[in-house]
Amino acid sequence: MTIIFVFVIMGTVYAQIRDESVPPAFQALDARVSYDGVPVLDGVSVAIPAGETVAVLGPNGSGKSTLMRAMLGIMPLASGEIRVHGTPLSRFRDWRRIGYVPQRLTAGGAVPATVREIVASGQVAARRRLSLPTRADRAAVDEALATVGLTDLARASVRELSGGQQQRVLIARALAGRPDTFVMDEPMAGVDHENQRALARTITRLRDRGSTVVLVLHELGPLEDVIERSVVLESGRIVHDGAPPAPTGECARPGHEHQHPHPDPNDPDPRAAEPPSPADLMRLEVPGRD
Amino acid sequence: MIDLLQYEFMRRALIAAVLVGLITPVIGTYLVQRRLALLGDGIGHVALTGVALGLLTGTSPLLTAAVVSMFGAILIEVVRVRTRTSGDVALALLFYGGIAGGVLLIGLTPGASNATLTGFLFGSVSTVSEEDLWIVALLALGVAAVVAVFGRELFVLCQDEEVARAHGLPVRFLSVLLAVTAALTVVIAMRVVGLLMVSALMIVPVVAAQQLTRSFRVTMSLAVVIGLLSSLGGLSTAFYVDLAPGATIVLLALAVFVVAVGVGGALRRASGHRAASTRPPVVTTAAGTMPESDPGRVSR
Repeated sequence: MTIIFVFVIMGTVYAQIRDESVPPAFQALDARVSYDGVPVLDGVSVAIPAGETVAVLGPNGSGKSTLMRAMLGIMPLASGEIRVHGTPLSRFRDWRRIGYVPQRLTAGGAVPATVREIVASGQVAARRRLSLPTRADRAAVDEALATVGLTDLARASVRELSGGQQQRVLIARALAGRPDTFVMDEPMAGVDHENQRALARTITRLRDRGSTVVLVLHELGPLEDVIERSVVLESGRIVHDGAPPAPTGECARPGHEHQHPHPDPNDPDPRAAEPPSPADLMRLEVPGRD
Repeated sequence: MIDLLQYEFMRRALIAAVLVGLITPVIGTYLVQRRLALLGDGIGHVALTGVALGLLTGTSPLLTAAVVSMFGAILIEVVRVRTRTSGDVALALLFYGGIAGGVLLIGLTPGASNATLTGFLFGSVSTVSEEDLWIVALLALGVAAVVAVFGRELFVLCQDEEVARAHGLPVRFLSVLLAVTAALTVVIAMRVVGLLMVSALMIVPVVAAQQLTRSFRVTMSLAVVIGLLSSLGGLSTAFYVDLAPGATIVLLALAVFVVAVGVGGALRRASGHRAASTRPPVVTTAAGTMPESDPGRVSR
């Protein structure tokens, strides 16, 4: 009797550790997407277990962004199936669990909006129509702003911010709805080196909280230690799935800080700040900024 | 102002002007946000066909215009999505179809000519009947209800359609809803400023307001204030000086825009100077996860 009991306990614990009872956060089954008859995703099958931190890597045009957009229903499938938290995408209704950070150069529309307004709009799936924001809603917005370090700029107009700051607004918007599943499309684009590391810390915290984080990335960069698994796409197919691929060549050099600068007209070239330490190095003010 | 209210037609005109000034900039804010500033114009042209249809069949032109322009609005959305035509091309197609349909139908109407349409094209607020006023009030109520219920979702949609999809919002429904609401707004404003200038009242107050604001909500509120000032101011000016009311209203709104550009520029320059002299070189944040690293300042 006792032995059976112990087995049951062990079984429960094992199931929890392995998360076998929990369906994958995202599951693609032979997913195919094409633009004008040209296949962009060519039969991709992949499962992302809940709680995993995954990078989707690949060269431009490999279909990595398309895979993410297909998983969220932004891009319709030509064939195959997508399941989100175990539910086929067409029947999935629990959208408040999803936080999406799109790849954008700017966070604003044509009408001015404050940082806080944009961030609060991330709660649209979690709130009922005609409801006023509750104290908890406002606290979630405050927390999201604090997490990306934009508390002081909450009342600023988004269009007055630099590219890197606008990227952080988009991340805060995803955080504000308190989802447990994040999809971020190149969140490092246009973000300077130091903010990339701060973002890595944010993602680490999300992971520690048990969130699922899927990141489309050009390369791992400062996220190298956070990523548990890399899925590499090439020409719409998965060519690698497992531990992050080892860097080769110049990138393998010890101490090499790999980064892929996405030029932002407002930010100075991140490479300019490369020799990381010299305290006497002063970054000069760029005229016309802020 | 008192002698203005002595006339029955002027009282009705003023009520219509208030409703138009209140409602049009609200929808206009979403349209500008969505970069569909000309949607109102496209629908206005389609509404002309509706007006002619009303005159031909002897029903209220306001009602037929509302029905036809709602169909036009849905058609614009369908054309935009289905044929992968860009928004402006879809609008252009409707511009021509709407005008041609209107002129064709009015030609078939006994006792009516293109001159009959002039009142609808350029506005004839002084001929607003009591029935018209009821229809306008009802439509205004409908538009306000849509914004109250769906405003938050429309904000996300107009901000970023892809994000709206990733939130699971009914993007297609919301797009059609916005277009239909815009169509109703066009009909509301049709009698006051005329179909050719309807869009001006939707767009100009918003563009004027955003010269001075940094938040969406304040932009919308200020646009409503500017819309009200223009429509009431324009109407009473037209009454005393004997000008065309629709044109006076629109020109007044444009004058506000010009002033707003000047004031906004001066304010930004002033705050720029202040910021440059008083702002600390490093923006430190309370939370400290993404601190002291905004590039482009003296940061060490």
